Amino acid sequence: MQKTPRFSLVGAALLIFMSFVVLPGCTRHPSEEEMAQLNALKSEVTSLQNEISSKQQEKAALQREIAVKDGKLQQCAKDKEIVQQRLKDWK
Amino acid sequence: MKLSKIFIIVVAASVFFALGAGVTFAQEKMTKDEWQQQMTEYTAKRNDLKAQLQQLTKEIDDLKAQSTQKDADLKKCEDEILALVGATQADVDAFAARVDALEAKVNELSRLSNEELLARKAEIESAQSELNELRKSKISLLPRFYDRLQAIQQKIDGLRNTLASMEKFYTVGTWAKNRDCLWNISKKKDIYDNPFMWPKIWQGNRELIKDPDLIYPGWRLRIPQPGPLSADEKKAEARYWRLKHARAEKMEKAGEKPAAEKPAMK
Repeated sequence: MQKTPRFSLVGAALLIFMSFVVLPGCTRHPSEEEMAQLNALKSEVTSLQNEISSKQQEKAALQREIAVKDGKLQQCAKDKEIVQQRLKDWK
Repeated sequence: MKLSKIFIIVVAASVFFALGAGVTFAQEKMTKDEWQQQMTEYTAKRNDLKAQLQQLTKEIDDLKAQSTQKDADLKKCEDEILALVGATQADVDAFAARVDALEAKVNELSRLSNEELLARKAEIESAQSELNELRKSKISLLPRFYDRLQAIQQKIDGLRNTLASMEKFYTVGTWAKNRDCLWNISKKKDIYDNPFMWPKIWQGNRELIKDPDLIYPGWRLRIPQPGPLSADEKKAEARYWRLKHARAEKMEKAGEKPAAEKPAMK
């Protein structure tokens, strides 16, 4: 009768030890192929972000260029009007 | 050692080991669930970015088309202006070169001292003639030239005013009272103090004095700056004497009294 509790205590302790040590090893992890898939996806996202940033810069440059051209067009229209007026007064 | 103590030590060691192992695993290896979560997250992000990129590409294409259209509009507008003044781009470029040269000349004259300016008076008149020529062209009405030509005219006017402020004038009196003739005027202390300088007054007032023997009371004569006679003035003087002697000889032959030996001494 004295041996029974002693063994049960050791058994319980071992059981707890084993559950903490062995159980995490049973958790499911992604395979290498799946990890490669995730990494490829991350790279694609980074590449897209860079491409978008570059396109945004290109868009801003084009908008500035168009604004300059708008200014030139307005000036040209004004010049044309001035020349027409001066031609009326020109001998 | 009591069994209960062994039990506590084993449990504590298990918990410690399990926690340590758990942290290590989390750092080194993700779980399948985490992988799935990240795959979902990144796939959504990628799709969103792809849509953004597509939208941006479309906007850029539109902007490029707009830019090309604006280039065409600008060219059309510029061509219309050229058509208004009846010129080609080559004509405008040639005109621009002439304006540049004239502007440079006038700027150069503006930097001269008054004495130097006086010596190069003819260049001011030549600049004015060139400006008048340029203004005859309709190209001068283009805004890029119009204001520049006006500025050049202002500079030429300034140069002329400077010259005018340096020039002296003399109002001719009567022969009876003042004995005014070119010889006598030139002899005056406050004019040249030298009667032989009279061709200077003649040549300085050619638009008024056609015959140096004839000047009239009330005429306002410009008195050019003192100095030796120029080549033109000497030439004019020689011509005057030649004609005068020829006329005298002719009159002598005809038995008439010859004219005075000094200009405008009649």
